[in-house]
Amino acid sequence: MKGVLLSGGTGSRLRPITHTGPKQLVPVANKPVLEYAIEDLKDAGVTEIGVILGHKGREEIQELLGDGSDYGVEITYIVQGNPLGLAHAAGCARDFVGDDDFVMYLGDNILKQGIAELVESFERGDYGAGIALQEVDNPQQFGIADVDDDGTVTQLIEKPDEPPTNLALIGIYVFSNEVFDVIERLEPSWRGELEITDAIQTLLEDGHDIDSHVVRGWWKDTGKPEDILEANRLVLEDDHLERNGRVAPDATVDGRVDLHETATIEDGAVVRGPVSISENTVIESGTYVGPYTSIGPDSTLKGVHIENSVVIGDTTIRTNGKIVDSLLGRGANVGRADDELPEGRRLVVGENSQLKL
Amino acid sequence: MRIITHTCTECGTVVSANELEGNRVMKCPGLDCANVLRFADLPQEDRQFFLEHAEQYEL
Ligand SMILES: [Zn+2]
Repeated sequence: MKGVLLSGGTGSRLRPITHTGPKQLVPVANKPVLEYAIEDLKDAGVTEIGVILGHKGREEIQELLGDGSDYGVEITYIVQGNPLGLAHAAGCARDFVGDDDFVMYLGDNILKQGIAELVESFERGDYGAGIALQEVDNPQQFGIADVDDDGTVTQLIEKPDEPPTNLALIGIYVFSNEVFDVIERLEPSWRGELEITDAIQTLLEDGHDIDSHVVRGWWKDTGKPEDILEANRLVLEDDHLERNGRVAPDATVDGRVDLHETATIEDGAVVRGPVSISENTVIESGTYVGPYTSIGPDSTLKGVHIENSVVIGDTTIRTNGKIVDSLLGRGANVGRADDELPEGRRLVVGENSQLKL
Repeated sequence: MRIITHTCTECGTVVSANELEGNRVMKCPGLDCANVLRFADLPQEDRQFFLEHAEQYEL
């Protein structure tokens, strides 16, 4: 079994964060989203991984993952170029996959329970494909599967008006080698893409059984800022967090806090977990860091009250204001305007930024 | 749809035909690989197929 990890896409819904890098490298609990996928693949016994690159972030992704040896896996890079659909991405991996089966994992997805059960379930039978499903409240907005009592898929429907189930396809699939011949027979859809759901539907029509596995833990597609915040919250809730850094005697630290060995919480600061604080970051006196916050590396916080937020790193925040539910890109700085005249906020804001003042 | 790719002989990076055709001659996108990849490296038959169906490989 090989792995095919999709890392293309423009990340347009995550601008301005993605002006400077690919969406798969946005950190959740101080770890790039893509690393969670690599770990899930490895945990499922998949150690030969083809990473599909689009136009954006090719170098950054290669710099992060390298040849995979830091993660105990072997990585081959596959440049898809034009984003011609998920089935096209899979097709580009044909030489890499060879005669094997493969797991296809969308690199901006993150899920609690990993993919080992999906892979094992696929391997127990003789399936053309296996799909991961999750119960959703709004099935009209997803690709939906109808399944029989054994979990074998009987029908796939894209954004149905009258959904037969609330089981949505999430971004993780297992494919037998037969899918490559199916992809060769596919035509681009109305939006000019080779659709992965068309490939699965064709496997079904060709008489292949399609396995399904309902993912019970949480799952997030991290395409939008609010999804990053929620994924961060979910990971911090579950993760084992270690306090290795320096906590000054008159600092107040409650709950589970992941504190890098080079990070510092100074006297007079208050940190209430779950929180993650990365390397070389200093939480100074008068600062409150509240639950579900991740502060990236090389940052300094002074005086701010911050909670349920992600600060990516290289940031200085010196304000007495309150920051909640926020995502701050690398190198973003927040100062104070209290002593400046005329009274008012002073902003230098990048393209596609979103502010609520 | 037929999907045509080329594998860099130096580093093993796989590059799709649309990427090669768009550039004609390009540095291998593999980090630290100095190999030069050309659309002309593809077999004649693949090149011809790609060019005859080029509209499929565009957005
Ligand atoms: Zn190369």
